[in-house]
Amino acid sequence: MSNTKSLLTIKNLHASVEEKNIIKGLSLDIKPGEVHAIMGPNGAGKSTMGYVLSGRDGYSVESGSVTLDGEDLLEMETEERARAGLFLAFQYPVEIPGVSNLEFLKASVDAQRLARGEEAITSANFLKEAKAACKQVNLPIAFLKRGVNEGFSGGEKKRNELMQMLLLKPKLCILDETDSGLDIDAMQVVAAGVNSQRTEDRSFIVVTHYQRLLDYIKPDFVHVLSDGKIVKSGDASLAQELEAQGYAWLQSEPTEDELEG
Amino acid sequence: MSEWLTGAIARGQGISDWLAPKRAQALELLSQTAWPTRRTEAWRYTPLRSVERSIAKDQVQTTGLSPVDIADLHMTELVFVNGRFDVQQSSSELPTGLSIVLGSELNNADQALAIEQFSSIKPSRHLFGLVNDALASDVVVVAIAAGADIEKPIRISSLLSSGAEAHTRVQVKLGDGAKATVIEDVQAQGDTLSTAFVEYDIADNARLEHYRFALQTNTNVAIGGSHFNLNNKSKMHSTIVAFGSDLSRLDTDIIHAGEFADAKLNAMYLLDGKELFDLHATVEHAMPNGTTEENVRGIVADRARAVFNGRIHIHRDAQKTLAELNNRNLLMSDKAEINTKPELEIYADDVKCAHGATIAEIDKQALYYLQTRGVSRSKAQVMLNFGFINELIDLMPNAALAEWVRPIIRERFAQMEVK
Repeated sequence: MSNTKSLLTIKNLHASVEEKNIIKGLSLDIKPGEVHAIMGPNGAGKSTMGYVLSGRDGYSVESGSVTLDGEDLLEMETEERARAGLFLAFQYPVEIPGVSNLEFLKASVDAQRLARGEEAITSANFLKEAKAACKQVNLPIAFLKRGVNEGFSGGEKKRNELMQMLLLKPKLCILDETDSGLDIDAMQVVAAGVNSQRTEDRSFIVVTHYQRLLDYIKPDFVHVLSDGKIVKSGDASLAQELEAQGYAWLQSEPTEDELEG
Repeated sequence: MSEWLTGAIARGQGISDWLAPKRAQALELLSQTAWPTRRTEAWRYTPLRSVERSIAKDQVQTTGLSPVDIADLHMTELVFVNGRFDVQQSSSELPTGLSIVLGSELNNADQALAIEQFSSIKPSRHLFGLVNDALASDVVVVAIAAGADIEKPIRISSLLSSGAEAHTRVQVKLGDGAKATVIEDVQAQGDTLSTAFVEYDIADNARLEHYRFALQTNTNVAIGGSHFNLNNKSKMHSTIVAFGSDLSRLDTDIIHAGEFADAKLNAMYLLDGKELFDLHATVEHAMPNGTTEENVRGIVADRARAVFNGRIHIHRDAQKTLAELNNRNLLMSDKAEINTKPELEIYADDVKCAHGATIAEIDKQALYYLQTRGVSRSKAQVMLNFGFINELIDLMPNAALAEWVRPIIRERFAQMEVK
């Protein structure tokens, strides 16, 4: 580890949903430019981690701390976290009929620029940028006019998430099972998009179930999340180990669900 | 009977003017009418406590009230201040084909006609319509001559200063083939009680464009009605925009009294706080080949309550009627309430009718999704749901009026919170 200042620091985080503890002592430290993969079995809390970090209603933090660029993330509203540079690419992006994709993208970019005290981008310039981003993720330009994710296939929704990331240029991107439901070609498009955004100061958390995506997005670190905390960390080779052996050997004790199921 | 009504009847009995026979009729009906309770169907969800408790006075000093300016819109003004016709603020120069006269100043023949038409369109079942019959002191008669095309909208403003009780009444008659736009607006400063009723007789082939704004809020009690009589091949297009208050109630009646008449009614309401808005819209298809299209949309936040009763009555002879009624509502909190009741009564066998009512909650997932992209909660709400109301604003035929009211609605909507 270098001495660079951390971008994201999670310390002993405990969080619950509907009074059920899901995150149980999660700690993680991410420096600028790093790519961390988080793997783990179903129900380990992978998606919950993203929701808690983004400040979703109904996800309550019991204890612990999270800082982004030294700022207390947990004190911020959801939109403030986004403006501070956090981006969550959803596993299941929501469809919003009646709000066009372009209107949505422009509102997002406008809100973030305003928060950073930057000048508003003109509609014409924004359209140019949006078209370029559309092209980069292999979505037809016509998708800008459609309702947000409305009638998009699973793969198109994932690419739309990626397009938002390209336009918003966040500091920290959490990709929540962005590979799920994608065929190999679509996955390569997504991976290429992510790789094109890797810079010295932008970091990624790649949440995935399978090692496959990590063949295309090379992680600096791999963590195994199980029962709400990280039970093992390593380099990229850990992903291959997991692929070969599964997760069972890592789980300290079976969860209640597993005992019942 | 309530003390308030007893007092109103007593005041009505003290008025003696050209409308005496009509006022006597109304008072007679009022004295036979029971004060509404929760069991009175027309007032089931709209308690009249705020009328009972009203301390508004019918004699209040008037203080420099004037109608709001609307950019890019020149209007013929018809102004009431605390129920009295304000000659100073009302337009004196009128376009050819338009006359606006106090009923008391009409010549004998016209006055006889006005007496005959008074309360001939507004059904007598409206309790506060009867109160208005008895108490509206300055009844104004608006006549648009046959064939006249009056471009400048006519605005009827009822302005109330704080603590005032006022009853305003206008009779509008569009002659054969005439065209006109009428805007009804109530502006009240608080602790007021008002009834504002307008009757429209729309002759053969005439066209009426109509707007009614009920944007008074807070402690204002505002009750009113717009009542339309459609003759052969006549057309009306009405837009209602309402916020709520302690009590805001509007009754509309559209009567297809001639064949091939066409009625469009678009109504929208945005309610916040503890406001109440109640719209009772009745359409009577008494004659064949009429069409009615009614779109009513509302957004209700916090602990506000909306009441919508939409009745379409197709009489036995009204064959080939096309009628549609749609009411869509969005609730922004789990304490908000909407009582909606579309009613179709069909006695003819060759008609096409449809009605529907929906109630939805704000999509919290979509709200969260927008917030994760940096869009503020309030802006996200506007984006998600403004379109629903905006669609009806887009349908307003008068662009200047639409551009005036759009930001007012947008601002109100931005203040409403998801809870």
